[in-house]
Amino acid sequence: MNGAILRHVWRLQRTKLAIVSTALIIWGFLLPVIYARFGSQFTALVESGLFPEQFARVGGGDVFSLAGSIALGFIHPIGIILTSVFAVGFSASAVAGERQRGTLEVALARPISRRVLYLSLLAASFGFIAICIAALLAGSVSGATFAGVVKELAFRNLPLLWLNSVLLFGALAAIALAASVSFDRLTPALGLTLGIVIAMYVLEVLGSLWPAAEVLQPYSLFHYLKAKAILTGFAAPFDVVVLSSVILLAMVWALVVFPRRDLAAPS
Amino acid sequence: MNAIETVGLTKYYGHRSGLVGSLLKRVRASTSPPIRALESLDIAVREGEVFGFLGPNGSGKSTTIRLLLGFLHPTAGRGRVLGLDTTRDSVPIRRRVGYLPSGIALYDTLTGEQLLDYLGELSGRPASRRAELCERLELSAHTLKRLVRDYSRGMRQKVGIVQALQHDPELAILDEPTEGLDPLMQRAFYEILDTLKAAGRTIFFSSHVLSEVERVCDRVAIVREGRLVALEETAGLLARRKRNIMMRFTGPPPRLEDVSGITNVEHGDGYVTCRVEGSVRPFLAAIADAAVVDLTIEPARLEEAFLEFYDEAKST
Repeated sequence: MNGAILRHVWRLQRTKLAIVSTALIIWGFLLPVIYARFGSQFTALVESGLFPEQFARVGGGDVFSLAGSIALGFIHPIGIILTSVFAVGFSASAVAGERQRGTLEVALARPISRRVLYLSLLAASFGFIAICIAALLAGSVSGATFAGVVKELAFRNLPLLWLNSVLLFGALAAIALAASVSFDRLTPALGLTLGIVIAMYVLEVLGSLWPAAEVLQPYSLFHYLKAKAILTGFAAPFDVVVLSSVILLAMVWALVVFPRRDLAAPS
Repeated sequence: MNAIETVGLTKYYGHRSGLVGSLLKRVRASTSPPIRALESLDIAVREGEVFGFLGPNGSGKSTTIRLLLGFLHPTAGRGRVLGLDTTRDSVPIRRRVGYLPSGIALYDTLTGEQLLDYLGELSGRPASRRAELCERLELSAHTLKRLVRDYSRGMRQKVGIVQALQHDPELAILDEPTEGLDPLMQRAFYEILDTLKAAGRTIFFSSHVLSEVERVCDRVAIVREGRLVALEETAGLLARRKRNIMMRFTGPPPRLEDVSGITNVEHGDGYVTCRVEGSVRPFLAAIADAAVVDLTIEPARLEEAFLEFYDEAKST
């Protein structure tokens, strides 16, 4: 890794990181408050049979418990989109975007190997994701405290939830960065990554809404973040293994492909 | 030791190696044959010289530079920069080289100073020449505090020159370095090159502005369609090239058709035009007895020499 690259990336992204983190804090804050204010009404609605229970339990989250509402914050599209600003947006553009703009060759004209550049950018991605997830958790804890339900929260489980979430979005970032080093232009790198993320999200949500489609869920990386289970003390180490394996595979791809690629003059 | 040496350096785009590459190649072979960007280039740039690398757009200049810096992998042949292999040792090479790409792209959201600091830090060597370069190129401290996105094209080029040379590299690879500079700044840039040359630095200078190559380069290589067309001393190239002569006379015209080195003889009303290649002595001897009233010999321009090479290469 290269300290100069990390500092440079931090300088370029810090404003965006501050905005996204603030948005995640607000988003994390809202869900425990919604649970505290309307959880019982939602429970009554589901028990009345007005709408199927699956609709209130999307992706392992729900609004019937504090753990469920915090979990919903992680799997809800708003939380995913905000975190993906860095997991997908930053990572996919980190190499392909610079290549398209022509700034990559100015950096690579220095004594920096492509592997060092890649590892520095991956480390930066993980750093940004770690901060985003911490912001989401901080917002959730603040919301629970504000709503007076914080005593329902087992704080000892939060580090594992943070780690598992960082690994999930880190896996998406590793895929995005692998795509980024494989293309000369941003559009295909970003398009491919977004396609993968959306397809995996659809598989996960489909499986949670439709029992017959549950068989598809293991093919989605989102399936390997069970936030509610972690918060209630039922963490699955296998999830961490799967996500770590995906990160490793994407890293191997990038570390093999990037140094061997021809970097022709930007068009 | 040569600062740059290439032997049979070849680059085809679309050429792939390895299992996946071979399969892709078979699939694509029928529709898109590889593009021959560079074909068996043999050049040797001596340490301490200013070497001009000339050629029209698409002739292989940038491909050569990118091969030397390790951005591209050669299809065949090899290159050495400062005694190091361009494929195996590209990182150590880049530690000792300064590079100015053609039409340089810079980080727009940084100030000029932040940009130079960042690139200097990546170089891993102190920016010992920055102050001197900024002074010569009239980049004030106030200017460097402004965001790069507010810079004009000329200012960007100046920052590009500073980032390439601020760490005092042993070899500077400059691709179209005077692009966007006004005549005053071009002159300042030539003075910088003179200083670098006096300090024993090697400069690899790619350009299609022939007059500046003629002014600053010791030797010139000309490439066309990926092939080396000529490599000679600039002075030799200029001396060898044909000069245009026009003379006015009274009385019968001198007979020039059989004189050594004279070609393209044309007779007009009271004047003769011709071209002289090499020594002018036979020509002067031939006109010694003629009643010449006016004589014009156009100075040798590299541009014409280049065009001649270009035409010759085209016809062969």
